[in-house]
Amino acid sequence: MANRTYEVMYIADPETADETIAKLNEAVEKLVQTEGGSVVRTDDIGRKRMAYQINKKKEGYYVLFEIEGSGQEIAEIERRMRVNDAIIRYMTVRVDEDRKSAEQKRAKRENKANKRASFRKSGSRDETETANNAR
Amino acid sequence: MADNDRDTVEVRDIVNTGVDQEFIEKMPRRFQRRRPRQVVPDYIDWKDVDYLKQYIPERGKIMPRRISGISAKDQRRISKAIKRARMMALLPFVAD
Repeated sequence: MANRTYEVMYIADPETADETIAKLNEAVEKLVQTEGGSVVRTDDIGRKRMAYQINKKKEGYYVLFEIEGSGQEIAEIERRMRVNDAIIRYMTVRVDEDRKSAEQKRAKRENKANKRASFRKSGSRDETETANNAR
Repeated sequence: MADNDRDTVEVRDIVNTGVDQEFIEKMPRRFQRRRPRQVVPDYIDWKDVDYLKQYIPERGKIMPRRISGISAKDQRRISKAIKRARMMALLPFVAD
């Protein structure tokens, strides 16, 4: 129950100071830890041109977190982000289920390939046998 | 892959079936654009803009299945990823 993986991304105002963003990221990490989860990865992507304007701004400061936990901490993070004026947009995506199914698909494909390879091997052996018999 | 059979109807398939040649020439050639079955990665990352761009013509719309030629399941996954990327301003809703 408790093991879910989320990707949380937010876009901050490009004019916010770097220290403010660093502080914010630290706060997120602390919050997740107090709720019993863990931050697997923090990816500070930085200032980036957005595909369209948001609040009349062309650029945004992107930060991505990968968080493992129960989901309690996500609710709290989102609540705080909603209140924070520096954050112009945020999104959370649950990724563990999709990753699992991707892993399953890969395993299935490998299994199939192995089976096919072993079948091919035995098939060629049969062929030589019949050739010998004919002779 | 039995379900692959219905994908395309090509003109050469019906050339020798006794159908009037003139009729064939008048037929709209709309089947030509469909690509053969595409290979889609197991995990589609909504942040992978370069990959998703493949399915976005210049207008910024999501390429329909009839042109992209991917399976319905994969199309759903891709369109979901594109929509997520749009929300985070990684991809445009409309490009001009």
